[in-house]
Amino acid sequence: MYILSGMDLLVKVIAWFVLLLPSLVMATVVRSADEETGLVKWHFSSGDVEIELIQRLPDQTRGFFLARGFSRKVADEIATACVFQTIVRNRGEPGAGKPVVIDLGQWRMVHDGNHGTIRLKEDWIASWPEGSVSQAARLAFRWATFPTEQEFRPGDYNWGMTAYGLPPGAVFDLNVIWQQGGGAQSGWIRGIECPADVDRLK
Amino acid sequence: MSVMKRLSVLWVWLLCMAGVVAADQTLTPVPGRPAAPDFELQDTEGKRHRLSDYRGQPVLINFWATWCPPCREEIPSMNRAWARIAEEGIIMLAINVGEDEDTIFVFTADYPADFPVLLDRDGEVIGQWPVKGVPTTFIVDPEGRIAYRAVGGREWDDEQLLDVIRELQE
Repeated sequence: MYILSGMDLLVKVIAWFVLLLPSLVMATVVRSADEETGLVKWHFSSGDVEIELIQRLPDQTRGFFLARGFSRKVADEIATACVFQTIVRNRGEPGAGKPVVIDLGQWRMVHDGNHGTIRLKEDWIASWPEGSVSQAARLAFRWATFPTEQEFRPGDYNWGMTAYGLPPGAVFDLNVIWQQGGGAQSGWIRGIECPADVDRLK
Repeated sequence: MSVMKRLSVLWVWLLCMAGVVAADQTLTPVPGRPAAPDFELQDTEGKRHRLSDYRGQPVLINFWATWCPPCREEIPSMNRAWARIAEEGIIMLAINVGEDEDTIFVFTADYPADFPVLLDRDGEVIGQWPVKGVPTTFIVDPEGRIAYRAVGGREWDDEQLLDVIRELQE
């Protein structure tokens, strides 16, 4: 009879752990700040899914939309609605990993004990009276904001702005939800800070 | 095998696995290979390009915008890929969405593009393609059908990716 020595057992345990690692869904959230800009980002990872939220200063967003034909009023409204550059990535194994489907309409947020949903691009567009925003500006908005629904095959990723409709400086928790392998999965990103506006930085 | 030797083998295997995961880039096959919507657009040099004129050749079609960080990141690798595939009869068309020639002219001073850059000023063409965000790239086969897609940026000079496109020529 072969009896495992302590070291043999250790090697086998490590090997099994590494083999099983991809199937264990352990969500991690890392908060970090850019050394140069001070902008904060939250990196969420669970199984094949990676989601990053990077603060966009209201002035940065305001400038982006003003340069693309938005009026000052509408650009201000978007800029101060707690906007994040958002990246979603499927890190699944090519050929073997399963598609990930994101529907931002399912994401939930909690701010000061109140539950809410994020402000989708369709909500913004519907709020603009006919003729108040030019076609070129609408086009820029459509492609610069994150799609409400999107499928990500292994290796796919996308960037775009998401807006949470909260004032600058507000703090909230976000429940991110995605579909993979026929089931819904979710995780929390807690303590997300809406970027402060320029006047608040003074 | 000694325990130390086993640990060494395990370590080397772990490093190899990490390398495989980090190096993989993919093109997703498009089920049923639907017909690619035809278009005719002018490039920044004033030349008109009609997709159907390239029938018989694989065509890489990349939708992008100057303000999109991953679009900017993949331009150098697209240049390197173009330097290799242009002589092989593979076409590369980068379709800019919603911007004017002046914007692209200023942009290409910092990010030179050697391949044709087409202008979809009103977004009419991108609206006909199954695109949710930029960059998105499609590989159209010589029969004019969408064979592959890539959502997000890629390192396009990766021979593994280019071989997938070359295989469409066979």
